[in-house]
Amino acid sequence: MTVRILLVDDHPIVRQGLRTLLEGRPGWQVVGEASDGIEALDKIDVLEPDVVVLDVTMPRMNGLEACRLIQLKGKTSLEVLFVTQHDSPQMMREALDAGARGYVVKSNAGRDLLEAVEAVSQHRVFTALARSPHASC
Amino acid sequence: MKLRILLADDHEIVRRGLCSLLQKREGWEVCGEASDGREAVEMAKQLKPDVVIVDIGMPYLNGLDTTRQLLQHDPNFKVIVLTITDSDQVIREALDAGARGFVLKSDAARDLVAAVEALQSKRMFFTPRVNDLVLAGFLEKGHAISRTEPPDLPTLTAREREVTQLLAEGKSSKEVAVLLNLSTKTVETHRSNIMRKLSLHSIRDLVVYAIKNNIIQIQMPPQLRTVSETTVV
Repeated sequence: MTVRILLVDDHPIVRQGLRTLLEGRPGWQVVGEASDGIEALDKIDVLEPDVVVLDVTMPRMNGLEACRLIQLKGKTSLEVLFVTQHDSPQMMREALDAGARGYVVKSNAGRDLLEAVEAVSQHRVFTALARSPHASC
Repeated sequence: MKLRILLADDHEIVRRGLCSLLQKREGWEVCGEASDGREAVEMAKQLKPDVVIVDIGMPYLNGLDTTRQLLQHDPNFKVIVLTITDSDQVIREALDAGARGFVLKSDAARDLVAAVEALQSKRMFFTPRVNDLVLAGFLEKGHAISRTEPPDLPTLTAREREVTQLLAEGKSSKEVAVLLNLSTKTVETHRSNIMRKLSLHSIRDLVVYAIKNNIIQIQMPPQLRTVSETTVV
């Protein structure tokens, strides 16, 4: 089954990097991109993704606020995975409390992102800070 | 002959995005990728790229000091600095370090190809805000862009700035010694000299100095702005 992915980050160059990494995986499809939380909320309704890959720090509406509002949509099949610069246990807790299923630090995205998307697309939790030697699933 | 580009950024996804953008251009190739400043300097010496693109906020050796070391080794290196901030101080330091291009990361998809083209044609490229600052201050007044206080950096040597960054990133003197291939005693001497020159009294003071002078960069998360914890990026 195809995993439909929406990328949300305010830097186009980061979205491009995420896209090249994710589209190398057979069966995964990047169905769209958004540059902030507000745009993401609109695109979720139109594109019906399975996984939203979400940055934390963005203009207009940050990722945490967007994640909370995504949960209110009641889409049980939709999962949120944060990919962020914030290598912080506190921020990771905030993200999970907001309803995210996964948390990956940008500096380690090359190592962790594919495994994280695979896990959250199967509704499993995946978290990995940069300092942690191993990701936990 | 192909234009050879070396990329230096600690985030693999950013490097992937940059690669994807640059390699679409016929006649351009990314000849190497470095994940920190020290690696970038070593790779540049070996690969002799036509253009080096360096992120400012890299571990071990930041982009500004990377630029300084590259140009000290070979003044013909053409360096584009990538940054998340366009503060006056960062712009001034990038210009002082000898960068010929200055591009905001948020605008990289739009500006980076133009920046590389400019350097290829022996011109410079700066994001529009830098051009405004240059016009407003640098050229008209015949000196550096206006500043509110004199820079602290010139009081440290290049080696001392390297040691400062590594200590501010949380490494011990022993770890710094291993990374820089020095004895622990030599690192301790550098550390004492740094503290004395800057009138600092603790590692906490050193970290604050490093942040204020763009030796390391921090980004505060949106929900934790009142919490003292910071994230080094």
